Amino acid sequence: MTQEEMSSAMVAVEQRRSSRRSALLMGGAALAGLALSRKALAQTATVGDNDVLNFVLNLEFLEAQYYTLAATGMTLEQAGVSTKGGDGSAGGAVTVKANAQVPFTTPLLKSFAAELAAEEQNHVRSLQSQLGGAAVEQPAIDLLNSFNTMVQKALLGSAFDPFANEANFLVGAYIFEDLGVTAYQGALGLLSNKTYLDKAIAIHNVEAYHAGAIRLRIFQGGSNMQLASQLISAARAALSGATGNDDVGVGLIGGAASIVDNDENGRTFARTAAEVLNIVYAGGPAGTGGCFFPQGMKGTIR
Amino acid sequence: MTLAEGCGGGSSASTIASSPGTPATPVTPTLTDTDLLNFALNLEYLEAEFYLRAVTGAGLSSDDAGASAGVVTGGTQVPFKTSGFLQIAKELANDEQAHVRYLRKVLGSAAVSRPALDLTNSFNAAAAAAGFGPSFNPFGDENSFMVGAFLFEDLGVTAYHGAASLLTSKQNLAGAAGILGTEAYHAGEIRALLTQMDVPYITYANQLSGLRGRVGGGAETTLSGSAVVAADSSSMGHSRTTDQVLHVVYLSGSTGVKSGGFFPNGMAGTITAAAS
Repeated sequence: MTQEEMSSAMVAVEQRRSSRRSALLMGGAALAGLALSRKALAQTATVGDNDVLNFVLNLEFLEAQYYTLAATGMTLEQAGVSTKGGDGSAGGAVTVKANAQVPFTTPLLKSFAAELAAEEQNHVRSLQSQLGGAAVEQPAIDLLNSFNTMVQKALLGSAFDPFANEANFLVGAYIFEDLGVTAYQGALGLLSNKTYLDKAIAIHNVEAYHAGAIRLRIFQGGSNMQLASQLISAARAALSGATGNDDVGVGLIGGAASIVDNDENGRTFARTAAEVLNIVYAGGPAGTGGCFFPQGMKGTIR
Repeated sequence: MTLAEGCGGGSSASTIASSPGTPATPVTPTLTDTDLLNFALNLEYLEAEFYLRAVTGAGLSSDDAGASAGVVTGGTQVPFKTSGFLQIAKELANDEQAHVRYLRKVLGSAAVSRPALDLTNSFNAAAAAAGFGPSFNPFGDENSFMVGAFLFEDLGVTAYHGAASLLTSKQNLAGAAGILGTEAYHAGEIRALLTQMDVPYITYANQLSGLRGRVGGGAETTLSGSAVVAADSSSMGHSRTTDQVLHVVYLSGSTGVKSGGFFPNGMAGTITAAAS
């Protein structure tokens, strides 16, 4: 970034920080996560548990591909994880640079990336197993142009390679984990089967562990990494279309760290399916997709 | 390696079976949302007092502690040396204080006051039972503070996880899920931080994890550089029944235990004695 871009970015961050308090005074915004918005509901008459689980399965494919490629250079299929649907349909293509394995230099980050890959693979398998024949196949996923789009939305630059080095890898991971927490949290209220609910809570927990550990690393990474996180949070909040702020970057607020992405009541945010789609499509139209899902998600909520 | 012996790997069935006094299959009575939220409020009082005292030397205000608040034993300002650690501690304190206020607001007149809490003898007893006693002061230095925080955060995650699917109101579920999310962020950041520390801190943490698992029905993942997240072999977050949580905070696997450890007079509310 140029000096000028940096300073306008800082202004944006300050505005975002101060809006954290005011946004939360609006109260029940998180509770809005209980209901799908009209936009998403228009695509599907009734939203059943399988629809919700398939919605999060799409997100798990995205995360699992990212971490597996970063840790090993392999796609899920190459790593032995099926991307087929329960009806045998082949999974969509993954667009990513050649040799995506991240050249980690910190042993603890290398091992953490491997852990993240294994855990997201397990989430894919677990949801596929729960859904059985109803499981959707992997949608087409873009891990190349999507990151360029996201950093443009965040005013961070024009191009971004999350696989270039371990700092970039953390910023890439940052984009996904808080989002996963908000998506699961918004989905919980839609599930009627208690077993599915418990499973969704269990995955929600793990995504939040991931997010906490990644945000700690960004906090420790210094002002530039913190600034990047703040700009990405601001972009997610702008894209989501939620009323009030629903995203807080890593930094300092009143002398305290902001490692947790939460509201004034100390609660992590919930997002509706439509808000999640707005982010992962980077504003692309519902049903058509864009950004991370260039042909849209698979399933009824898309 | 003594670490593995000391902590016993947490969630393995053999660890549970080999420990005398470990609860059998827990009995879950019918619990109302108010019962469950008050149960959670007890845990939030504990966490808030721990963090606030660590950061400021003083605990919750009398407004936040309730009209018939019990005494808090121990808890002093930690001599933080690293600014980042102090900043993290402040956030933890802010969040847990916010949880107390939020739950008290949701519960209204049904909210229990803060029960008596012990932050001195409890940690000594926990360290002794975990195998690194006879004493442990989490307020003595910033690394020890993180070990103390570790004891609470994974536990909070399992407690909210177990309670969340028992809640009948969707609104309460949404509120609890938001607190649960924050506890899991805390747990993730603290576990990651501990993996960066030198011995003995990660060892202490794993010994405490072993203790939680022995008295609290497993639900533990030994912390290491390749196991930052606490989850089962399917990468699902752990869960505990209210009974299992009581055993952990009372630091006792004894059947029917109703006080001890961090709650010298027991928890306040309807969920106070371990049925198993």
